[in-house]
Amino acid sequence: MALSTIVSQKKQIKRKAPRGFLKRVFKRRKPQLRLEKSGDLLVHLNCLLFVHRLAEESRTNACESKCRVINKEHVLAAAKVILKKSRG
Amino acid sequence: MADHNPDGDPTPRTLLRRVLDTADPRTPRRPRSARAGAQRALLETASSRRLSGQTKMIAKGRSRGARSIGRSAHVQARGHLEEQTPRTLLKNILLTAPESSILMPESVVKPVPAPQVVQPSRRESSRGSLELQLPELEPSTTLAPGLLAPGRRKQRLRLSMFQQGVDQGLPLSQEPQGNADASSLTSSLNLTFATPLQPQSVQRPGLARRPPARRAVDVGAFLRDLRDTSLAPPNIVLEDTQPFSQPTVGSPNVYHSLPCTPHTGAEDAEQAAGRRTQSSGPGLQNNSPGKPAQFLAGEAEEVDAFALGFLSTSSGVSGEDEVEPLHNGVEEAEKKMEEEGVSVSEMEATGAQGPSRAEEPEGHTQVTEAEGSQGTAEAEGPGASSGDEDASSRAASPESASSTPESLQAGRHHQFPEPAPPPGAAVLSSEPTEPLLVRRPPRPRTTGPRPRQDPHKAGLSHYVKLFSFFAKMPMERKALEMVEKCLDKYFQHLCDDLEVFAAHAGRKTVKPEDLELLMRRQGLVTDQVSLHVLVERHLPLEYRQLLIPCAYSGNSVFPA
Repeated sequence: MALSTIVSQKKQIKRKAPRGFLKRVFKRRKPQLRLEKSGDLLVHLNCLLFVHRLAEESRTNACESKCRVINKEHVLAAAKVILKKSRG
Repeated sequence: MADHNPDGDPTPRTLLRRVLDTADPRTPRRPRSARAGAQRALLETASSRRLSGQTKMIAKGRSRGARSIGRSAHVQARGHLEEQTPRTLLKNILLTAPESSILMPESVVKPVPAPQVVQPSRRESSRGSLELQLPELEPSTTLAPGLLAPGRRKQRLRLSMFQQGVDQGLPLSQEPQGNADASSLTSSLNLTFATPLQPQSVQRPGLARRPPARRAVDVGAFLRDLRDTSLAPPNIVLEDTQPFSQPTVGSPNVYHSLPCTPHTGAEDAEQAAGRRTQSSGPGLQNNSPGKPAQFLAGEAEEVDAFALGFLSTSSGVSGEDEVEPLHNGVEEAEKKMEEEGVSVSEMEATGAQGPSRAEEPEGHTQVTEAEGSQGTAEAEGPGASSGDEDASSRAASPESASSTPESLQAGRHHQFPEPAPPPGAAVLSSEPTEPLLVRRPPRPRTTGPRPRQDPHKAGLSHYVKLFSFFAKMPMERKALEMVEKCLDKYFQHLCDDLEVFAAHAGRKTVKPEDLELLMRRQGLVTDQVSLHVLVERHLPLEYRQLLIPCAYSGNSVFPA
């Protein structure tokens, strides 16, 4: 399936979706519900976008506080905002 | 024309012609070809006379390859009833004109292949030597001169043999008895007979190769290599290549199939060890029903009991009963010891006595690997399965094996920090019940959150890595932990929302429409940006194909 792409950061990012993991998490939490076949891919997409937004927000926070490194506080503040947004 | 040749200097050409004439009656085709060859020889000589001046220049300029090609062309021209192109003639001239040592024997040899040329090259290929075939076929430029030259030299020898054989009437040939030529030729081609027959359909003899000699002990080396390679990055392999937890259970099963074949192998990697025991242990099935029932708690005590049981198993079958309760014990400890025991038992099973030492370091490496891969079900899986196998095999194992595992186990016990997590138990139970790919639903764990977290964290780590990738900035460890917590919360919210949406639609299954609604509410999908756009943007091709309906040929739409 999807292969990892080589990034300039010298890190290999796996583009594969951990479908098993997602299904398991969903099953654990809501055993009475069922997830459709391609549903977990969309869940993965959702997670990707969430993480993306979170990362952007954290980066913004860190840059605003003029730190070269992303701190816990940046992430925390970003999470607050983004989780509120992702409430649905 | 004909007068020129015999009257003139006794060139190799003339010799060839003479041989050709004598070799006529051997095959039905031969006389025809021989005659044709004779005619060709005449023509060649005639043309050679004309082109003698040119040939010398050309000969010097040409490389050996051309010469070889020319040789082949020369013979081929003789054998096949093909048109005589100036090219072939020229090549023949090249062959004959320069009087080099290589050529001399070539010409002598040529009469031998000449008769062969008549016969179908296929038949020849089966019988004849590789080298002899070369002249028959087209003057392919691909023929390396190097190939031909040594071949010719070999043919030189064979020619003498051939002559001897002809004199003595050696009935060497097996197949081509029908052909007198073949028999006579094959007698000289003892070499080729010894080697496996060339494929009938060999179009290019230059490419035909001898089948590689089979080595006797491939398996051992292979397994050793397996072990060596598997030592270094087992965890990485397990974790990275299999991001899902499901395949992890399957992978040990996959491994199990492997060692069924290499029974003779002396040593195995730890997985191989587990696999082998599976193959060797029908007792596995016997144990498995007992195991799931007993699976629940088992800790260090059972580990000790296991060790004791291990000692006692050497005595006899009674070990089986002891082993059963042992299996309930700590999965990690068990599995490691089992691995050792497995390796030991395998050793016994294979009958190898030497590699007990090797087993030990193997076992150690196995332990280290297993420790490293504690969290993964895979390690537990093979460990469990191997443990089962162990029990069954240990019952029959001799005492000597137990001594080594004892020492190993003693070391292992110290190394094991904690009892294995319950997910390991579940995996273990699932493993023995169905060695094939069947994943049991995870059971409610009594033991702590550890089993829960590890695969969970493994899955989350995927997203954490993505986070750090998206951020493009260095991050602190604590920040990453923070991200994990956020992801946990996010998943909670996600599941709740999906449940609400599905219930709102009166369904019990979450469908992609619910997902789309969720994303719309999150503000990701708008009237400007549709879901498909997002899918295309962020997901790789394989997933895109699954999600976005696309029209295919035959009036079919996939997936919808």
